[in-house]
Amino acid sequence: MSERSVGRLRMERGIAAVRLAARGGARYTRNAPRLFRAAGEQRQQLRNDLALQTAEDVATTLGTMKGVLMKLGQMASYVDDGLNPQVRRTLSRLQDSVPPMSPALAAQVITEELGSPPDEVFKEWDPVPIAAASIGQVHRAMTKDGEAVAVKVQYPGIAETISADLGNVGLLRSLLKMAAPNQDVNALIEELRERIREELDYEREAASQAKFAAFYDGHPTIHVPKIIPDLCAKRVITSELATGARFQEFLTWPQAEQDLAAETIYRFVFRSLYEAHAFNGDPHPGNYLFQPGGQVTFLDYGLVKYFTPEELTPLEHMVRYLCVDDDKEGFRRAMVDAGFLMPETPLPTDDIVEHMSLFYDTVRTRGPRTMTGEYASSVARRFFDFRSPLAAYARIPRSYVIVQRINLGLFSILAEMNATGDWRAIAEEIWPFFQAPPTTPMGEAEAEWIKTRTPFPPNDPS
Amino acid sequence: MTAGAHETGTAAGLVERAAAAFAASVPEHPADDGFFGPESVTWRLAVDLTTPVAGLRSLIVQALHPLAMAGVEQHSDWRSDPVGRFASTSSYLVSTTYGDRAAADRAAAIVRKIHTYVHGTDNVTGKPYAADDPDLLLWVHAVQVDSTLKAAALLGTHVSPADADRHVAEMTAAARLIGMPDGRAPTSTAELDAYLAAVQPDLLLTPAAADTAAFLLDPPGLDDDIAGLWSEIRDGVLTVLPDWASDRYGFTRPSTQLDAHALAERRAEIRQALGVLDAVTLGEPGVLEARQRIELRIRQAQSQAPRQ
Repeated sequence: MSERSVGRLRMERGIAAVRLAARGGARYTRNAPRLFRAAGEQRQQLRNDLALQTAEDVATTLGTMKGVLMKLGQMASYVDDGLNPQVRRTLSRLQDSVPPMSPALAAQVITEELGSPPDEVFKEWDPVPIAAASIGQVHRAMTKDGEAVAVKVQYPGIAETISADLGNVGLLRSLLKMAAPNQDVNALIEELRERIREELDYEREAASQAKFAAFYDGHPTIHVPKIIPDLCAKRVITSELATGARFQEFLTWPQAEQDLAAETIYRFVFRSLYEAHAFNGDPHPGNYLFQPGGQVTFLDYGLVKYFTPEELTPLEHMVRYLCVDDDKEGFRRAMVDAGFLMPETPLPTDDIVEHMSLFYDTVRTRGPRTMTGEYASSVARRFFDFRSPLAAYARIPRSYVIVQRINLGLFSILAEMNATGDWRAIAEEIWPFFQAPPTTPMGEAEAEWIKTRTPFPPNDPS
Repeated sequence: MTAGAHETGTAAGLVERAAAAFAASVPEHPADDGFFGPESVTWRLAVDLTTPVAGLRSLIVQALHPLAMAGVEQHSDWRSDPVGRFASTSSYLVSTTYGDRAAADRAAAIVRKIHTYVHGTDNVTGKPYAADDPDLLLWVHAVQVDSTLKAAALLGTHVSPADADRHVAEMTAAARLIGMPDGRAPTSTAELDAYLAAVQPDLLLTPAAADTAAFLLDPPGLDDDIAGLWSEIRDGVLTVLPDWASDRYGFTRPSTQLDAHALAERRAEIRQALGVLDAVTLGEPGVLEARQRIELRIRQAQSQAPRQ
């Protein structure tokens, strides 16, 4: 095939992609050089001139606790209140201090993982990364089938470096005490270690993303980029290339658009929790891409928590007794069953309910409600308030630590969107013990997906 | 870290002041590569993680020479403004290392001038001293070079024997700047070691040295967030002190407390704490940019170097 006809074919594919996008609002298409280019526009200010050239450079830049500190910085986004400003500044500078891998180093990882250099594995490979991931970076590429993809490549040697740093519990302890003096340091250490361990495990992440993609396939507004399993490995994840507006740009869109997207995010979080028994524990603005009409693409499955029925049932009971049955004693029993409350707690039930009900404020009664920053930060404050009388008797069992991100991450994102919705009505559609008919146009649109969707595969408890 | 950097006699603001001195002394538009240059071992070592330990080891060991100590004790303001003193020393070292030749010469001329006023009689030994005495300059120089190499090597930064020799040889430029006659400064690790062995009879623990070491190992008034790290850094210094210095101070030699394996583990932990201190320093204004300026120049030099 001549040079010219190749170019022509590409152009035709581009036109087809434009038509497809215009028709269905679809954000992924096969044969999508246009998307390939569009995704490049999100390119961040990456210091390619300072690129890491060897695994040794990676160890110098991200070793000796720096990678761990960066993770701590990301956790800080949901333990916001307790963090002192100097620590916050340090952590954010640290993120800036990590340059990308050089094209040769990234190619070396691809070669080691997929057996051949990127130019041979892919039809096209952009050697310049389009985005930094915390322990890797994202390249765009086109597969031999002509599909535009995002390829996440992990920094070589990072897993070994970080595991060694996580072994220094004494130092972690004093770091966390310094960073967040009012908090339960042991719980935070466990959280940090688990979070990092999972993020390093790209195979688990790809498997999670594949499950979410299959479950939400055909959903009217929730989109999960499909995994290309043949192009995934221990340190490489290849998925469909998604495009859309980033959070900061999206915040300038009309409020009605923001309300719709908020509804999509809300449905995604609670359908995943109650129906897939899985929670993508990273409700972080960087992990969403927005398109008009409430279309949201959910990226990054590095931290998915799967719940067993035994773990989920007490959570269901708590919300049911408090918000539906108005059974305060039942709520208290469910808290004890879940392990949140010590059995012999010498406090009146009314006080416990009063303390806890703030977390359920948005779903206790029907009617539209606007998520405000004030609400989000009052939730965060109460969550980390170790001075309340309840604090001595309250615990957060290991398996629920991640749920705090619903309270802290989700609410603060909806608050930034200033989103209004009848959250209770939407919750009633989703609660397994309620199963109300659709209450919004988006709920109506979900009906077809609900009828035809494939059940979420059984979870390995983890 | 909080304000209060100007409180006298305490270590408050140590990291900010040291970081500000560093950021300000790495030039943005140097006229030339200075006396070391981007291909030197010295450039690489001067931004190493272990630099804070090297600096502290240096000061603690240098204090063991009674005449050097007397000069500091009788003329320096270190007791009333330890942080300021430390920051100006850092500034000098960074300017002479990364600055262009004019900047290095300027910084050195100021220090040489100050040295001409620093002379007197040591109360402990009764001997006269002068800061521009080549013997004292050699002592301070040798301990600094030795400390840079030992802290790096013992705390996990790889420095090959050839690079260690190169560093000693490169540092003769620093000796010349401070006013040492040519030929006095060691040019290899063997010469450096020989000098340090030969100078032992001159060393003595004076009360002023004991005070200095106590202050450096446990500085009063450290900001809270650094205080937690300081115990690790102190251990770092103690594990890299030469045995002869530990013995004179009466510190337990780490090798008598821990077997080789445990000592190696302890040093790895200390390196992690130094990584945190480094991260804290990176959080200070201008530090990241200054490091990037250095790194870019090193890379540029590498890419222009003829392939071997």
